[in-house]
Amino acid sequence: MKRLFKSLLIAAACSVLALGVVGCGEKKEEKKAEPAANATAAAPAGPKTIVFACDAAYPPMQYMNEQKEIVGFEVDVIKAAAEKGGFKAEFKNVAWDGIFAGLASKKYDAISSSVSITEERKASMDFSDPIMTIEQMLVVAKNDKATDLAALKGKSIGAQIGTTSYLVIKDVKGFKAIKTYDEVGLAMEDLVKGSIQAVVADSPVAVDYTTKKHADKIKIAATLKSDKVENIGIAVLKGNKEVIDLVNKGLTAIKADGTFDKIKEKHQMK
Amino acid sequence: MTETKKIDVGEGAAIPSRSDWGLFNAWVISIVGAVGAIIYLLLVHPEPYQRLLVYLGDGIVITFQVTISSIICACAIGLITGLGRVSKNKAINLVASTYVEIIRGIPLLVQLFYIYYALGRFLNVHDLTAAIIAMSVCYGAYMGEVFRAGITAIDKGQTEAARSLGLNGKQTMFMVILPQAWRTILPPVGNEFIALLKDTSLVSILAVSDLLRRGREFSSETFLYFETYTLVALVYLVITLILSKGVSIMEARLSHYVRR
Repeated sequence: MKRLFKSLLIAAACSVLALGVVGCGEKKEEKKAEPAANATAAAPAGPKTIVFACDAAYPPMQYMNEQKEIVGFEVDVIKAAAEKGGFKAEFKNVAWDGIFAGLASKKYDAISSSVSITEERKASMDFSDPIMTIEQMLVVAKNDKATDLAALKGKSIGAQIGTTSYLVIKDVKGFKAIKTYDEVGLAMEDLVKGSIQAVVADSPVAVDYTTKKHADKIKIAATLKSDKVENIGIAVLKGNKEVIDLVNKGLTAIKADGTFDKIKEKHQMK
Repeated sequence: MTETKKIDVGEGAAIPSRSDWGLFNAWVISIVGAVGAIIYLLLVHPEPYQRLLVYLGDGIVITFQVTISSIICACAIGLITGLGRVSKNKAINLVASTYVEIIRGIPLLVQLFYIYYALGRFLNVHDLTAAIIAMSVCYGAYMGEVFRAGITAIDKGQTEAARSLGLNGKQTMFMVILPQAWRTILPPVGNEFIALLKDTSLVSILAVSDLLRRGREFSSETFLYFETYTLVALVYLVITLILSKGVSIMEARLSHYVRR
């Protein structure tokens, strides 16, 4: 009896202790989120440096070249926009999974990583004007006859973790497995070696992989129709108007004077 | 002339018996704390924790699968390697030693990538299979060293006695040496089990839908990083604690058997 009482007492004490820690953590997080907007405003005068996080494993939008520089279509767009918008752009390579968490904890000012503007994301962050419109594409092996998701019932399908591509297939029933990858390149690799039968990816990436890297092994089977237009933009913390205004100013300027189209041509975007 | 020095002999330090402090050991405190925290979170914040736990469900099963399969395979590989390392046959010894040296020198994460993506070009293995193979091969090498240490720790007289009684080499090893070696082997092997369980979180890199991967999927979509990783950590802790209890029960049994 005494033992039972003792163990109950310890159980109670431990739970309280553990939850105290959990509870504190929650409160701190809430507090942190508030002064987010002011934090960047305190930067010294002169051309403002905006640090953009990007997952440089997403050709042709942003990737590492052999000189270990972050390059790509969106990188060039931001660099051009920086010139016109009057700010300095710096890029930081961050893994996609957790890129939003890093923004929330203010490790950088903005995310420039082909982030699709969705209602869910708008709830926790603000977006710039759309940079471009993309679609979701279904990529399969060269000899596969499937032209839609329905034809892939019973097969394994993959997408990058936490992307809108994953959202497309997440709730579709009938697949043998839905696999999520850290990088879209790993998903394509798995498709090439036959571990999965299809990958859903953003259109620029799907085009890049099926025309450059694995042109002889995989192809685009279909464009997945959606009733919503999917745009990509720059994401910042909620209320960070300063950065959004600078980025928008630059984007508008390069779209008006034709620089944007030149960059598109350079990267052979449609 | 010489003073005899008197030494006070006290009652001596009491050696705590198991039942004296059994309640207050670290294991009980940890498990009660972890389980209590999980239950509290589920009851007090059903949203999102209940949804989260349901989402993590099949990931927990996969983590278990990978752990148990890898433990069994790694033990088998470890035993063979350990025997190979103490073998008098030079060729066998060399093969076992080379295997240990190579595998110990390559990080598990690299091995996982290598087996799945690099070798995958020639030999397409299922992701779960690749994960189990990589874990077993890696931990097999570590366990091989543990087995070797356990076997060499047994006094040489045991072998001599067994051989002079007419047992052959095989009988000596399996009937005399190994049964005694278990006692020294088990605690470090238990540590390896626990390390292995935690390292299974690395297999999520192969897009295996284990506990960590499920947590990452959930958090990357809902942005509930704090809640997700709190629960994931607690679930790992509970599984690890159960495993460590299992090992210590086995240890207690063995030492009991030996004492008798």
